[in-house]
Amino acid sequence: MISTVDQKKEFEMLKKAYEKAGGDVSKFLDKRVASLIISGDKVIGLNGLQGVEIIPEKIENGVKAKILVSKNTLIQTPIHICTGYVEKKGLQRVIFEIEIGENSQVRFVAHCTFPWVEEFTHDALALVHVGKNSKMYYSDEHYHSNTGSITLNTTTRAIVEENGLFVNNFTLTKTRIGRLRLDASVQLGQNAVADLSAKVKASRSDQVLIREKLDLVGSHSSGMAKTTVVALDESKVRVVNEAYGIGSYSKGHIRCEEITKGEGVDVSTIPVLKVMNELAELTHEASIGRVNANQLQTLMAKGLSEEEATELIIKGLVG
Amino acid sequence: MLILDNVSLNRNEKYILKGINAAFEPGKVYSILGTNGAGKSSLAYLIMGINDYRPSSGKIVLDGEDITSLSVTERAKRGLTLLWQEPVRFQGLTVEQYLTLGGKIKVPADQIDSTLELVGLLPELYKSRMVDGLLSGGERKRVELASILLLKPKYAILDEPDSGIDIMSLSMIEEVVQYIVKNGGTVIVITHREEIAKISQEAYLLCSGSIFAHGLPSKIIEYYKNKCDGCSHANIPSLGEVKI
Repeated sequence: MISTVDQKKEFEMLKKAYEKAGGDVSKFLDKRVASLIISGDKVIGLNGLQGVEIIPEKIENGVKAKILVSKNTLIQTPIHICTGYVEKKGLQRVIFEIEIGENSQVRFVAHCTFPWVEEFTHDALALVHVGKNSKMYYSDEHYHSNTGSITLNTTTRAIVEENGLFVNNFTLTKTRIGRLRLDASVQLGQNAVADLSAKVKASRSDQVLIREKLDLVGSHSSGMAKTTVVALDESKVRVVNEAYGIGSYSKGHIRCEEITKGEGVDVSTIPVLKVMNELAELTHEASIGRVNANQLQTLMAKGLSEEEATELIIKGLVG
Repeated sequence: MLILDNVSLNRNEKYILKGINAAFEPGKVYSILGTNGAGKSSLAYLIMGINDYRPSSGKIVLDGEDITSLSVTERAKRGLTLLWQEPVRFQGLTVEQYLTLGGKIKVPADQIDSTLELVGLLPELYKSRMVDGLLSGGERKRVELASILLLKPKYAILDEPDSGIDIMSLSMIEEVVQYIVKNGGTVIVITHREEIAKISQEAYLLCSGSIFAHGLPSKIIEYYKNKCDGCSHANIPSLGEVKI
C-alpha cells in the first residue's frame, strides 16, 4: 500500500490531518474498506474491493482517478477518499470519474485536508454517472489551514439515470475558507432524485461563490438544492441556486439560508427557477440576516448570554 | 416573591398593559386568564424582559431585587424562565443538545430520560431527533416543557402550555406544574382552559391590558366563562379591579 519512506511520512501527516477533520483513519488500514489517499500529485494509499475498482493516474499537478462500481453491487462500508497536501505552496488538481452501475448502492466519505498550506490552490472536478435504480451518497468535508490563503475550486457534474438517487453534501465549517468556488449541477432522468447541500462558515476576508443547479429533465424527477451559510466579519458570500423544470411532473425546491454577523459582511443570494414544462413545479425559499431574534430570546430566557446563544444557533446550522 | 408594582407597557403610543399590580409567592401556582388580545402574553414577555417589552412605568421586583432594568439573560440567571406559546424551531440541534443548551447545563443522562418521560416523550426515540420543523407542534411543546423542567426554575411562566397538546395530555401538564412546585418553584400559567386554571391556587383575570379581577380560581373561572365570552366592554378596566 505504501512504497517509500517519504510516503510513509506523508501518510502519517495526512492521517493526523484527516483525524482532525473528523475522519476515521482506521478505515484506511482496513482491507475491507475501499479507499483512495492522495497527497499532492501522488497516490499514497489505494484499496479496491470486489465490485469497486479504483484506477488512479498521475496528471500534471495532481491525480485523476476512475472509480467504478459494478452493477448489482451493494457496498456496506463507505468508500473513503482522502485528498491532502503537505507542502506550504502549490497547486493540486484532482479529477474523479465516478461510474455507478445499475442497481447498486454506494456511499462515499471524502475528506480534503490542507492544514499546513499557505499559498495553495485545489482544483477538484467530479464527473458522476449514477446508473438506473442506483443510489450514490457523497459526503465531502474540508479541513483547511487558518491562513485564509487557500483557493478552492470544486466542480461536480452528475447525471442520474432513471430511478436513481444522488445525494451530495459539501461541508467547510471548521476552519477558514479562503476563496471558494463551488459549482455543482445534476441532471436527473425519469423518477430520479437529487439532494445537493452545501454548508459553509465564512469568516474574516473569506470569499465564497456557491452555485447549485438542478436540471429536472426526466418526468417525475425531483430535487432539492440547499445552501446554509454563516457569514462573519468581512466575508463575502454569493449563492446562486437554480432549478429547471423540464420533465413532466418534475419537482424542484431550492433553499438558501444565510446568517450574518459582522459589520463588514457582504452576502447575497439569487434563486433561479425556470419552468419549461407546464406540468413541472418549482419552489424556493431564502433568508438572509442576523440570527433569528426569537431563537436568541428563547435561549437567553434559559440563561445563555447573547454570544452563547448565537454560538449555539450557528453550531446547529453549520455544525 | 415576584412583585409587579404598578407596571404599564406602552408600545407604539398605545397602552398594552396598564397599572398591573400582582404578587407571586414562592411555591404557589397562579393562573392568568383573559380573552385573546387581553395582554396575557405581553405580560409574560414583560416579566421575562424580552426585547421591546420593557415597562413604561412601574417596577418588577424579584426576591427583593428590582429587576426592571435587567436583561432577559440576567433574569433567567436569577431563576426566572418562560415557556413560549409557540416555541421556535432550531435547525441542526438534537433534543438532547437543546435540553443541555449545547452542554452548558450539566445533567445526568438518566435525568434527561426521566424528564422526557414525564412530558410523554420516549427518550430513545426523541433524544436524537432534531428540534426543527419535523417535530409536530405538540412534540415541540413537550420538548420545551422538558427544557423548562431541567432548568429547575424558581419562577416559571408557562404561556398556554396546553396549546397544541391533545386534551388527553392535560394531566401531563398538571404533573409538570406540580414537579416545578415540588422543587420549590412558583408557576404562573397563562391559559384559556378551565382544566389548567383549576390547578392554580390564585387566579388573575386580565381584560384589555389591566387586571380586572383577582381571587380564587373557581370564582375567576366562573366569571370568565359566563361574562367574558363575547364581551365587548373593552373599557371596563378603567373602572378598576372588581371583587368577584
